[in-house]
Amino acid sequence: MIKVANLQKSFGSHKVLNGINVEVQPQEVVVVIGPSGSGKSTFLRCINLLETITDGHVLIEDIDITDKGSDINKVREEVGMVFQHFNLFPHKTVLENIMLAPRKVRGVPEQQARAKGMELLKKVGLEDKAEAYPDSLSGGQKQRVAIARALAMEPKIMLFDEPTSALDPEMVGEVLEVIKQLAREGMTMVVVTHEMGFAREVGDRVIFMDGGLVVEENKPDEIFENPQHERTKAFLSKVL
Amino acid sequence: MDFRFDIIIEYSPYLVKGTLLTIGLSLAGILIGTILGLFIGLGKIQRRKLLTWPFVWYITFFRGTPLFVQILLIHFGVIPMLIGETNGIVATIVALSLNAAAYIAEIFRAGIQSIDRGQMEAARSLGMTHVQAMRYVILPQAFKRMIPPLGNEFIVLIKESSLAAIVATPEIMYWGRAMAGQYYRVWEPYLTAAVIYLILTLSLSFLLNLLERRLKTE
Ligand SMILES: Nc1ncnc2c1ncn2[C@@H]1O[C@H](COP(=O)(O)OP(=O)(O)OP(=O)(O)O)[C@@H](O)[C@H]1O
Ligand SMILES: [Mg+2]
Repeated sequence: MIKVANLQKSFGSHKVLNGINVEVQPQEVVVVIGPSGSGKSTFLRCINLLETITDGHVLIEDIDITDKGSDINKVREEVGMVFQHFNLFPHKTVLENIMLAPRKVRGVPEQQARAKGMELLKKVGLEDKAEAYPDSLSGGQKQRVAIARALAMEPKIMLFDEPTSALDPEMVGEVLEVIKQLAREGMTMVVVTHEMGFAREVGDRVIFMDGGLVVEENKPDEIFENPQHERTKAFLSKVL
Repeated sequence: MDFRFDIIIEYSPYLVKGTLLTIGLSLAGILIGTILGLFIGLGKIQRRKLLTWPFVWYITFFRGTPLFVQILLIHFGVIPMLIGETNGIVATIVALSLNAAAYIAEIFRAGIQSIDRGQMEAARSLGMTHVQAMRYVILPQAFKRMIPPLGNEFIVLIKESSLAAIVATPEIMYWGRAMAGQYYRVWEPYLTAAVIYLILTLSLSFLLNLLERRLKTE
């Protein structure tokens, strides 16, 4: 589903990703953990080309997005992304946030987009907020809207970049619950998170990154019970 | 000091015409300047650095030289070159528009760049093209923030349209100067002109405040 081969990324002379190789199978939930600055966000952002790729290849369903000829907008329609800071459109209502891309990118008729939007809001438990503006929502509600907005494009893959890091502790649960639900439905996902309990419960595989490299990857139980590398051990002993 | 209302009354038909022309010149300048300014502003922030240079130079020139000089160059140089004769009204509209566009371009640029870059990223991650993201996400938000500085610029433009008098465009100051010349008076013509400008600029401020409040409550 996703194939990342020797991915490298530099910001100027600062090398952030040093050759990442990762494959994600359909319906798999891959959780990425690692210390701050290890390149987790950059890795995720390269997967839908929010960052230009310095070297290497990223294939989404066999389309090489580093190839100049491939239509990146088409690929992005298939890859939903949820950001740490939600990035809802503040000038639009919750429902308009969700309807915008299907209407403008796919040309979905108004009625149909509205029905789909309401269905998604129901799914994340926010039907009663359809006409509200994002500014009036709590952090947890904003993030659930952001998830619904990404789902409105019916993506095959969802990327989450620390979806609960900007939330008050009491709101983390409601957002993780929505993500768990997606996992149960078989959505292919890559999730960057500091929530180790969540990683363990939901992840099919955990990737530990440090210094722009994948240091270790394994089943959650293996990585948490029996880490192989010193750096993994050091990191886990700090966060667990 | 005796204040001669009679000469103001005598000139009032001309002052009315002059005021209408000032309003027309200003509206034309605002309209053309805003459209042009949007394109120049977008041109200046585009990714391809080499292509930004003409826009940077444009802004540098029109902000770095006096409007007075620009009006003279355009009236006696550019317009005759293009249409074969001078035309005060055309020259004034062209000069005001080109000048305002440089300032408005900077207002657009600042407005667009003040929008959090996460907005563009969210829009692009949903599959929107750069143009769609600009149109539906960035510009509507930027526009709200641009209203106060745009309002300032429009007010400056109304006042600066008075420079058109020097190329014999019959707007408010043209008739003010004519009145002053005919009667050798200072206070009547210039105070009258000042009051008319004040009414115009205050009306515009009022309208802009109204618009700003409407958008805020939306
Ligand atoms: N746009 C950028 N320009 C320059 N350097 C950047 C940019 N984005 C990220 N970096 C650098 O790249 C490195 C990796 O950043 P990244 O955000 O991917 O780390 P991260 O693992 O997500 O960290 P965190 O857990 O803090 O989110 C950091 O050293 C960061 O300073
Ligand atoms: Mg990060």
